[in-house]
Amino acid sequence: MLNLIIRRLTVAIPTLLILVILSFVLMYTAPGGPFTSERPLPAQVLANIEAKYGLDQPFWKQIVNYVTGVVTQFDFGPSFQYKDRSVNDIIAQGFPVTLTYGFWSFLIACIVGITLGVFAALKQNSWLDYLAVGFTIGAQVLPNFVMAPMLVIVFTLWLGWLPGGGWNGGAWQNMVMPVIALSTSYMASIARITRSAMLEVLNSNFIRTAQAKGLSMRRVVIRHALKPAMQPVLSYLGPAFVGMITGSVIIDVYFSTGGIGKEFVNSAFNRDYSVIMGITILLGTLTILFNLIVDLLYAWIDPKIRY
Amino acid sequence: MTFRATLKATTTAVLLTGATAAYADGHATHPETGEPLASEQTFVYWVGDESPSFDPGLTEDVDGSAHARDLFEGLMNQDADGNLIPGVATGYEVSDDGLVYTFTLRDNAKWSNGDPVVAGDFEYAWKRAASPELASPYSWYMGLMALENVDAVIAGDMDKEELGVTALDDTTLEVRLSQPLPYFPQMVVHTTTFPVHAATVEAHGADWTKPENIVSNGAFKLSEHVPGEKLVRVRNDQYWDNENTILEEVTALVITDENVALTRYLAGELDQTQVPAGQFPRLSEEYPDEAVSVPSACSYYYTINMTDTTNPALLDQNVRQALSMAIDRDVIVESVLAGGQKPAYTFTHWATAGFETPDVPSASMTQEERNAKAAELMAAAGYGEDNPLELNLIYNTNESHKSVAIAISQMWKQTLGVETELANQEWKTFLETRGNQDYEIARAGWCADYNEASTFLDLMDSNSGYNDAAYSNPKVDELLAAARTSDNPQANYTEVEQIIADELPIIPIYHYAEVNMQNDKLGGWPFNNFQQNWYSKDLYKIAE
Repeated sequence: MLNLIIRRLTVAIPTLLILVILSFVLMYTAPGGPFTSERPLPAQVLANIEAKYGLDQPFWKQIVNYVTGVVTQFDFGPSFQYKDRSVNDIIAQGFPVTLTYGFWSFLIACIVGITLGVFAALKQNSWLDYLAVGFTIGAQVLPNFVMAPMLVIVFTLWLGWLPGGGWNGGAWQNMVMPVIALSTSYMASIARITRSAMLEVLNSNFIRTAQAKGLSMRRVVIRHALKPAMQPVLSYLGPAFVGMITGSVIIDVYFSTGGIGKEFVNSAFNRDYSVIMGITILLGTLTILFNLIVDLLYAWIDPKIRY
Repeated sequence: MTFRATLKATTTAVLLTGATAAYADGHATHPETGEPLASEQTFVYWVGDESPSFDPGLTEDVDGSAHARDLFEGLMNQDADGNLIPGVATGYEVSDDGLVYTFTLRDNAKWSNGDPVVAGDFEYAWKRAASPELASPYSWYMGLMALENVDAVIAGDMDKEELGVTALDDTTLEVRLSQPLPYFPQMVVHTTTFPVHAATVEAHGADWTKPENIVSNGAFKLSEHVPGEKLVRVRNDQYWDNENTILEEVTALVITDENVALTRYLAGELDQTQVPAGQFPRLSEEYPDEAVSVPSACSYYYTINMTDTTNPALLDQNVRQALSMAIDRDVIVESVLAGGQKPAYTFTHWATAGFETPDVPSASMTQEERNAKAAELMAAAGYGEDNPLELNLIYNTNESHKSVAIAISQMWKQTLGVETELANQEWKTFLETRGNQDYEIARAGWCADYNEASTFLDLMDSNSGYNDAAYSNPKVDELLAAARTSDNPQANYTEVEQIIADELPIIPIYHYAEVNMQNDKLGGWPFNNFQQNWYSKDLYKIAE
């Protein structure tokens, strides 16, 4: 297992480097630059700005300088768009927000989704099953950019229970709607996958044996069925977790949460090169890390897998 | 801190708090209007995105300028009608040749840390804004002000100390221009000319605008800034006219989606928000006291590529005339936009100070007459049903621009048989395409930097960096150059507008309006200030 970890982490370094170079090239080939504006800057002003941010250097030198800065000083550079914020500032502010609502969304999606899936499978073809299946279909076809403004209309305008947006330092009132909007479709997928995996497991021989031994249904499910049924769920949860904690532009746009998702999209529109790179590297690292964790969890859940 | 010192500090704080009790506690009514004042004096308004900066030297957008106007105060302010009124300066004198302005500063203006605001703070700020080290995207504004040596300073060929601004003493600021500029005093209302606190800027560098560092001289000071969420400013008790400030707290909430902002406005979370395109008629019916539309200092037009990379048909003046005449601007403003915009047949916004919209032939015709004339011109140019003209039109991705483009292409098709291919482009790509004249017809908008017609018409100068049509007419250049130093430039502006209306390197479509939902208990909003330069110190909340 240790071997796997070392091997994967070694591969991660060139992977990230390729990601950096590719992003750099793509970014520079996009038309326009960070200082392209409706009022084109006089050549001299533009030259001053480019000199200030090192954009007057040859392309290869910019990449080298950038990577050196990141590796040696963990400095992702200044934002080109926001004059008083560095990329480190932007990530330090936005990422904890995203991580918080992403984590809660993940937790709730897992608990509700798995519970719903297990019960639907146990009571297959009952009203509970139909309700669960109906809910999952509904939740999946309702995109969160439709659900988000609907939530604001219901909870803020009609009921007046919750603030319509903002983060407010992570107060629970501000977190309810983002978490609902972000978790529902994941919840639905988890429920659906759990249900079908559970149905399959419940029909297998070892469950029949367990039941024949006279174990209670509860014991059979918890001790024997749940773990194998979780394998397909787990392969979904890994990427889902990364997706949730790396931010959702929809959530940030509709609830003004100030998370990293909107910063990422904005940085692309603004051609804020350093912010694009900083967030790309952050998300790339997280993706690699969580994929590794999921692989390790596989080994724990499925005895057939050994590294 | 020792116990004694803590006690002293606490006592001072208590006394200070007592001394600066809320305005509304002592005054039941507004001193001028006599309206009853609400006990809670707060103003919460919508902004669509985080501003790049509110550092006066670096401010580049409308929202950032609004933050800066509250946090800082320049030499002159504007009143509710856009007229100049004293700010930090109590007045100014101008030399006979119009090249030297001498501003007299009040001696009681203070920074939020208690330091006096002196002429040297303006000198420092202006030199900083023009310097290549700051590399401000708005340093061109200093160039527009025609300060002595400004171009050489921006270019780095001359030390910033050579810039034409000098503090003669603490209350006297001398400004030297390279050419007379009759509207110069209007220009010092702009945030780029606001003072900054040198010691703070030097001590904290780019971080000086963070709430824990900032020192400012406006009626409000920064109390909280969560980028992407909100910016909160509170009354500055060091401000020289603090006793007349009524609002206690002003909050800008960043809400990207206009429709969510509207929902939150209706839920009472905001006092002001923008009306999403097309919703004004419904809202003004449901909330007649809250839906407001006022002229806003921008013009919407289509620019035509006049270089040889364009569609050759567009180099024919008859074609451009026909395209312009076939646009039913009344339909655009009344049915497509429906927010109180006004049809435009000339470029300069009709409400610009001192500007009289000149008569141009197409403006006085009916649409039927225009359509008939357009068809005639098109036929004269050799296009018709059997030889239809094909055009490309680009606009930046936006629902409202799309609706306008669809409507106009439809009008061209029906009246002239023109086949228009529409394409939208993401903002920066669009700017690049348009700036490189890699287009045939492109959507454009221009907003006034100061309240005078040259802010629009200078775009038609063949040397203007913003002349995306690449239009060049020596006569226009000459008229504009003469207008710059003239005491009465209206005649020149009229002539330029008439030439533009005839040659049509740009097709004016409409003049903008600002369409807002606004709490009817918010008083003092400067509806008649054409540039929508508002100052929170003039606002107040009326009691229910």
